Amino acid sequence: MSRCELGVFLFFSLLVGASSVYGVDEHRHHHMPGMSMDVSGMVMGNNKDKLPDDCNEITGEYEINVVAGTRYAKPYASTMFGFNEHEWRVKPCSRITVNFKNEDDVRHQWMLHGLPKYLYDRGMFHMEASGGHTQTGVFIVPSDDKTYLVHCDIAQHMEKGMKAQLIAGSGSGDLWSIPGISADFERVGGIHGKKGSLIGLFAVFAFIVAFIIVFRLFSL
Amino acid sequence: MTRLYRVLFLVVLVVVFAALLPWQWYPRDWRVWYSDTFGASGFLEQPVTVPAVAGENTEEACPPDIRGWRKPQSIAGVDITASPNCLADNPHAVAAFVKGTNNVGHMTLMDARLSPDAVVKGRDLDGDGDPDEIHIRLEVFELNGGSPDLDVPVTQYAIAPGVTPGLWVFAPKSAGMSTENFESLIAQPGLRLPSPAIRVEQGDKVIVTLENSHYMPHTIHFHGVDHPFLTADGEGNDGVPVTSEMPVQPGKQRSYEMQPRQAGTMFYHCHVEVQAHVLMGLNGMFIIEENRPNNWVQTFNIGDGFVRHSSVAVKEKYDREYDLHYLDLDKQLGEKIQQTNDPRIVTQLIHRDYDISQADFEYYTLNGRSFPYTARDSLIVTAPDEKVKLRVVNGGSEGVAIHTHGHKVTITHYDGVEHPEPARITRDVVWVASAQRVDLELSTKNDGLHSYGEGVWLMHDHQEKGVTTSGFGPGGNVSAIVYERYLQDDGWPMTFGMDWKNFLTPGFYQRQDDGSGITPLLAGVEERGLSALRLTILATIAGLFVGLVASWTVKGRSRV
Repeated sequence: MSRCELGVFLFFSLLVGASSVYGVDEHRHHHMPGMSMDVSGMVMGNNKDKLPDDCNEITGEYEINVVAGTRYAKPYASTMFGFNEHEWRVKPCSRITVNFKNEDDVRHQWMLHGLPKYLYDRGMFHMEASGGHTQTGVFIVPSDDKTYLVHCDIAQHMEKGMKAQLIAGSGSGDLWSIPGISADFERVGGIHGKKGSLIGLFAVFAFIVAFIIVFRLFSL
Repeated sequence: MTRLYRVLFLVVLVVVFAALLPWQWYPRDWRVWYSDTFGASGFLEQPVTVPAVAGENTEEACPPDIRGWRKPQSIAGVDITASPNCLADNPHAVAAFVKGTNNVGHMTLMDARLSPDAVVKGRDLDGDGDPDEIHIRLEVFELNGGSPDLDVPVTQYAIAPGVTPGLWVFAPKSAGMSTENFESLIAQPGLRLPSPAIRVEQGDKVIVTLENSHYMPHTIHFHGVDHPFLTADGEGNDGVPVTSEMPVQPGKQRSYEMQPRQAGTMFYHCHVEVQAHVLMGLNGMFIIEENRPNNWVQTFNIGDGFVRHSSVAVKEKYDREYDLHYLDLDKQLGEKIQQTNDPRIVTQLIHRDYDISQADFEYYTLNGRSFPYTARDSLIVTAPDEKVKLRVVNGGSEGVAIHTHGHKVTITHYDGVEHPEPARITRDVVWVASAQRVDLELSTKNDGLHSYGEGVWLMHDHQEKGVTTSGFGPGGNVSAIVYERYLQDDGWPMTFGMDWKNFLTPGFYQRQDDGSGITPLLAGVEERGLSALRLTILATIAGLFVGLVASWTVKGRSRV
């Protein structure tokens, strides 16, 4: 059930986002702490030592090597871009070093959402690597069991396979449409596809029931 | 149940059925007999007219300029003129395009949302004070594409209120997110239709690198631009898969080289499955400016329209310059990328199933938008006694017949080649066939020929479907030549006719409202027909009747 709830939450949060107007916070993205940018790409939200308020100490150290490229889409038919892995598991309050290598000749991103906003601008840890480049960044997750969305935000890269999850502790269920892990929310056997035929079936059923009732009543 | 009761029950059913049946469903002869015998039926009130005004769903005509993009300003030492239109180009991006993304600071790049290597300007080869080595990087973006998790398009870009056709566009290499922010599904302002106008100087050594960030293969063909068939390394350089090179696959890149010897307004487009890719939006204007000293040209004009930093040669002759990109779109073609999330099926739908010979075109855009959105960023703003340069390209598959109200324009260039002055034609309908370019001189001298005086003068394709959106008007590529005196402070034109707010509603382009305020059409009349309840009761009675008769038939048989 939690998987379903999370998916529905994501679905509606994105829908609400669709109708929102320009964020005023568009202005204030300069001079952010933990940010670097050059021709090879950028890192935003880099945090080596600032503990989240709910952590007393760092309870785990992880170093994950992420490789991005069209090559990693091969195992999953119907995707075009991918990461070498689409799920990582860490302990709450742990420090994660991400080495993000881009094997393609175009930009890719490893963008993680849902971190506390008092530590990370807009709750994001974001790495962007230009074609053929590697970026390294560090962040610390808070104490709650949570599943964090990781994706590439270049148009259609998430939709076409660059979507993953980082699970802290026991997590909060799987996200939708992660290659090799979870189904699409809308496309395969989605609720909307079934609706029309369901109504038709119900109408036929009602007709048959009505006919049988009358027929039996007056035949006796 | 006795037989009498059954008959009585049947009679009651028939009477109720007859009473509920609409009067007009009876045979005409019966109704005539009834009228002859009992006189006419009573007066029937007709349904009331519903006002055909959009009301509270109206969008803001002109969003406030909270970022101060319209103002004249100087960024990174680049003077950027004020933008008269309501929606202005990002001045930080304009500055970065003029100086080169390698020559501006970190903050300017962040505000421009550009990659540091989007436009790299190198050495001054001829020693005339401007860079002559230009390396441009283009990416490919999908707008209004599908998503596995949402039933609305993602990376949204509306060409008109509520109209979001699937599109592919070239864009300068950007940095960061494709959307305004993580909570939004709307594309950031640098990603839009049309693919941007590119400007270089005559004699520049130009490299254009295509970084294919899209999930389909693409190339770039530089139509009309002086370029060798092969690069110095012997690689294909014409962008044509059937003659010069294999397409650039997703995640790969390729560089095209050129040193254009002739100036003029040219064109570029993807040459993979051209019958579909070009019409998805992968085409733009490519302008080679005449060589002049200290001529720092604005390498990209995002969304075309007003040029905020014109070249030296243009400023010598003209007061203002506008790029006008006409493009018609096939709604059914654009929908294909929204129907599935599987790139294999998209390929099947677009490269195999799509048949352009059976296609018709629903959306007519000017600079990537249809009326009324054209009024936000594609008005030709001018003043009396000016000379305005209009560079026009038709990226669509049908011709456009551009008509200027109140003015006759002079055609100075065809396909980038200057027309001899004595032979120039001055007219008020300019035909531009597919892929053709014309440079127009718009004179605002009030002499009864070039201009009839100040006003808000419409400018549109005079093939009437060009002024519609899905065959519904006013829409399409309608824009206007607006004199400053007729422009409000926010950049919206001062008009004296119909209220445009009625058009600024998604419902209007779904044909829900007439909006004109002139004709209370049938569409404005409350729907009147059999109510669902009445129809259900009639059907139920019919069902009971059939059931009863059937039961009698069965019983009759069993007795035999």
